[in-house]
Amino acid sequence: MAQVTLKNVRKEFGSFTALESLNIQIESGEFVALLGPSGCGKSTTLRMLAGLDFPTSGDISIGDRVVNDVAPGKRDIAMVFQSYALYPHMSVADNIGYPLKKRGVARAERDKAVQAAAELLQLEPLLNRKPKQLSGGQQQRVALGRALVRDPKVFLLDEPLSNLDAKLRSYMRAEIIELHRRLGKTMVYVTHDQLEAMTMANRIAVMHNGRLQQFDTPDAVYNRPANRFVASFIGTPSMNQIDGQLTARGFGVAGHIVPIDRSRFAPDLADGDYMLGVRPEFVILGDGPLPATVKLVENTGHEQIVTLELANATRLLARVEAGRRIDVGQNIGIGFQADALHLFAPGEDGVRLNIDTSASVIPMRSR
Amino acid sequence: MPFLRTLAFNLFTWTLVLLIAFPLIWMIITSVKPQTELFRIPPTWWPETITFEHYKRLLYETPFLIYFRNSVVLATTTTMFVVTLATLGAYSLVRFKYRGRDTLALLVLFTYLLPSVVLIIPLYLMMVAIGLSNTLLSLILAHTTFALPYALWLLRSFMEGIPEDLESAALVDGATRMGAFRDIILPQLLPGIISTALFTFILSWNEYLYALVLVNSDSVAPLTTGVMSMLISAFNIEWSLLMAASVMMSVPLIIVFAFLQSYLTSGFGAGGVKG
Repeated sequence: MAQVTLKNVRKEFGSFTALESLNIQIESGEFVALLGPSGCGKSTTLRMLAGLDFPTSGDISIGDRVVNDVAPGKRDIAMVFQSYALYPHMSVADNIGYPLKKRGVARAERDKAVQAAAELLQLEPLLNRKPKQLSGGQQQRVALGRALVRDPKVFLLDEPLSNLDAKLRSYMRAEIIELHRRLGKTMVYVTHDQLEAMTMANRIAVMHNGRLQQFDTPDAVYNRPANRFVASFIGTPSMNQIDGQLTARGFGVAGHIVPIDRSRFAPDLADGDYMLGVRPEFVILGDGPLPATVKLVENTGHEQIVTLELANATRLLARVEAGRRIDVGQNIGIGFQADALHLFAPGEDGVRLNIDTSASVIPMRSR
Repeated sequence: MPFLRTLAFNLFTWTLVLLIAFPLIWMIITSVKPQTELFRIPPTWWPETITFEHYKRLLYETPFLIYFRNSVVLATTTTMFVVTLATLGAYSLVRFKYRGRDTLALLVLFTYLLPSVVLIIPLYLMMVAIGLSNTLLSLILAHTTFALPYALWLLRSFMEGIPEDLESAALVDGATRMGAFRDIILPQLLPGIISTALFTFILSWNEYLYALVLVNSDSVAPLTTGVMSMLISAFNIEWSLLMAASVMMSVPLIIVFAFLQSYLTSGFGAGGVKG
């Protein structure tokens, strides 16, 4: 068990800054997801934790030990790679046993540990096969087995599920959550899939352009996104973003006024340009101040995703219960649930301006 | 007419094969003909009497076996030098990032732009200067200089086909860099190493020009120059002996080839689709 700390960690590749002064404290036994689009610095962060890359400045600690200059093999970590990185010329048993062999564990003891890991992951019948003879899901499990066989302090997982098909992915997702609960080890999980991060992690570090945007629970990043980027990156379909003007009468969009409760936002806000954010599930169709046209209706079976267009060509998505009749081309007035509105400063990285009280959080089903 | 087309195609292919194989077949046939039958007109396609006396004379009355031993030592040592250096060099070129890495790789290939005749005199003078003239070692070094660049490029493309993740995984699993190289990289590189070794061995075994210039006594001459100077003089060419010697020179190569040819062809394809 060990906590992982990144203190002012900065990484440059030549003149390119991959990571700008990252500060993260991961508690012992915690499952943390590093989430962001490609190029955001999440994989670089993980590689630095593993010791495969070195920070330009700053400190990385595992437990109470600063590991900046410690070789990967001496950090007491295990890593699962996106490509699985199974050794092609070794059998499954040799693959799983390799980390133990490198640590000088005796043959008999090694075999026992391999057997235990194989049992945990249901790999016993495959122990004599070569990686090439396994399916993607089986290879994935061998990679997991190789990671957990020697009982490391910290697990690092680099997009371990992205090469699997959708069905297997959700199965393995559950399997990893279960594994984390059983082992109680610190896990750092890199992904670009917000659904994986939301469902698996205790806390999510959302990253963008080499900067940490928000580091909080799934519930918080969903309901109280720190800025526009987090708001748009978390959730499918993502949060609607509506540009408009804040005035004394409310929020003006394309010549219409959306009434808002100013007491929910920072008290000293000047009137002017802002962005209103609202999740699709809080868009109310039928009676509201904003006229819109229905452009597209996607029925997923248990709900419908409706694409709407405002007079100023802004497109919005609304989540509507299945069975309700909505026609493409129909003109409809829309409104928003007042306690679910977010206000952001203008600009791409505009920060969120809500005042959060416990009452303002819309409860989410916890894991 | 698919049948006629197949037939025509087969005829064409076999004609080509025969055309290419004919000198080899003629070499074998000539080597077992007695002297008296050699220059008869019209020539006999199949020897009337088969004799192995040329082989016997070569083995017992000439320094052929010494040349053979020299060639084996020369080609084997060169191959070991080249493969070791090229493997380490290719690893460096692919895995480590340093200034001028690509330039270096290009410069290595640049040496091929110079004809070997241009290099041979300076090389000879250098060998004399370090006191290696007329030794097998000087020839080994010379062969290494011209086989290494190509071997380096060949192994580089094999090395590029090995995912870096494999090595990273080994490092995380507790291996040192050398340990990861030995446990993971080398086994993955084996096909590349074998085909590089074959290329180098063949190159060194058949090399003539450097051997002619750098070495001139019987005790250190390899087969190529040794056999030539022994059997070909201004007045006479010992055709029967020459053909017997040629057969015995080719046999080791043919045997090695037969066993490892699948690796060799994979070497030709390296850099295209990685296997």
